[in-house]
Amino acid sequence: MSVNATSTRELPVVVDGCARVSVAAEPLDRPSAERLAKLLKAVADPARLQLLSIIHGAVEGEVCVCDLVEPLGLSQPTVSHHLKVLTDAGLLSRERRGTWAYFSVVPEGWQALRALFA
Amino acid sequence: MDVNIDGMTATLKQVRKQASAPSEPCCEPVLSAPLEPDHAVDMAKMFKAMGDPIRLRLLSLIAASSATEAGECCVCDLSGSFDLSGPTISYHLKILREAGLVESDRRGTWVYYRAVQENFGRLSAMLAIPGVASVGCS
Repeated sequence: MSVNATSTRELPVVVDGCARVSVAAEPLDRPSAERLAKLLKAVADPARLQLLSIIHGAVEGEVCVCDLVEPLGLSQPTVSHHLKVLTDAGLLSRERRGTWAYFSVVPEGWQALRALFA
Repeated sequence: MDVNIDGMTATLKQVRKQASAPSEPCCEPVLSAPLEPDHAVDMAKMFKAMGDPIRLRLLSLIAASSATEAGECCVCDLSGSFDLSGPTISYHLKILREAGLVESDRRGTWVYYRAVQENFGRLSAMLAIPGVASVGCS
């Protein structure tokens, strides 16, 4: 990160404070910011947050898609769409067994989000 | 930021296990209750504001300076870290401010930004706890 000489001289403390940083504890470089922004975008929807909260909170560690439609009060195709966005983002994994698909949280994806606020 | 997600799986599993253990009286267990709709809308707004690489980096700079002695960050220093025009930076800062992630005040020529700790705490709690809808848990 380049800091020009003038501002360094005038505002050493603030510049120093601004130049280190992160939401968590390490500097957030550009590639990380791009990767994390994608994850954040995926969760940035009320229905998707609700889905994540249900699935993450499930004692069994996974939830049948058949149990996700009713709590949200949305149609099945809409719920499926949201589940796909979360799955594509790497936050959920999907396993089909028989008629139904079962969803569980991908720990790595979830952890990447959590690390932002660590 | 160092997103060292490999090798943290075990930690997360442990956290989840602890958090969902019935003996953990952190709060009313609402394990299968969805996040309440109003709450979800607020949270989504904050996540949406963060879902942009520029804003995420701005936020990381502001959050870090909030933890320093100065406790805030001058917009004049933020803009130096980006190859963007002043108005573009201001636009992104406005989105962060409207989402409730940062607050600012003008003193003299410059505007100074601070992270809104309370909302960071809400987001963090949401990601940490199963049954996040539970109120007054953390």
